[in-house]
Amino acid sequence: MQNDTISYDTLNNRPLPKWLIDQKEGLNTIQPQKIVMRKDNSLEISFIVTAIFILLMVAILTVYFLKKHENKV
Amino acid sequence: MKPVYFKIIILAGLISLACTTRVSEWILLNAIPNKYTLICFHNGPVSETLRKQNLSIGNKIKSANIRFKTVSRKDIKEPYYGLYFEDRLFSRYNNPDEFRNLITSPLREKIAVELMAGKLCVMVYLKTDNNEKDEKGLFTLQKALAASPFGKIITVFELSRNTTEEVHFATLLLNVEDDLKGIQEPMLFGVIGRFKALEPLLGRGISEENITLMIDYLIAECSCLIKDDLPGTDILFTDKWENPQPALLNKIIDDNPSLGN
Repeated sequence: MQNDTISYDTLNNRPLPKWLIDQKEGLNTIQPQKIVMRKDNSLEISFIVTAIFILLMVAILTVYFLKKHENKV
Repeated sequence: MKPVYFKIIILAGLISLACTTRVSEWILLNAIPNKYTLICFHNGPVSETLRKQNLSIGNKIKSANIRFKTVSRKDIKEPYYGLYFEDRLFSRYNNPDEFRNLITSPLREKIAVELMAGKLCVMVYLKTDNNEKDEKGLFTLQKALAASPFGKIITVFELSRNTTEEVHFATLLLNVEDDLKGIQEPMLFGVIGRFKALEPLLGRGISEENITLMIDYLIAECSCLIKDDLPGTDILFTDKWENPQPALLNKIIDDNPSLGN
């Protein structure tokens, strides 16, 4: 009987079986969803929106009062 | 109660049972062994002698997880037989006498009996016949099993890689991975289900930690991740897997639920 043979270099470089590595690292069970931190821009956006709102209101009110008191001037 | 509610409860019960089945039991009940292929290579028309010989071989091996076929090749002088598993050549035989008792052997029969009796697994310790190396691994194995609460439902069989009686079984084990034949180290194969041999621990890899991890893998609740990517290689054996005994593991976990987590 003849078998196919493949030469082997060194036992030290041989990895453990995949099923064993997965078991060791807990990969055989359903993994919890990973939470990734993202940059939070909500504060900056809030400041900008508030500033635009204030400027817009000031402008509208200025125009309104100028037009209202135009005749008196 | 309306029949539809009753059906929903039954279905939910079955689904919950499916999710709590342990890996070892799920594989025994559900994983059908993959088939080997024995090919008779010949050149030109098949002679009457070869046809009768092949017919006899086909009848002898039909009860195992193997199929037989003939292939005509122009580049060969004499007919020969090749044993393949998923396109990998396991062995080459020049005549049928070389693969007599290919599909079964005394040790394989014993292992099948243990698996059918509800054992968690059978560990086959493949020895090198170098006493110093073999004893070290065997001592570690016995120590790990003695410390495990599941040690009593694991059977260990020792097998020499130079055996003549179990030569086909040893060859099949050494083909579980394509480089094993070149490694002269003791190897520990976990055999589960319907004769599925896991990729082995070998040499220094036969440690208490790794043996415990192997047991943990087999007692874990079967997840889709495991079902979709079952490890190991099916060993050639006669198909007799109907009505196995209930898994002994379940009684141990029922008596001590903390062991099952």
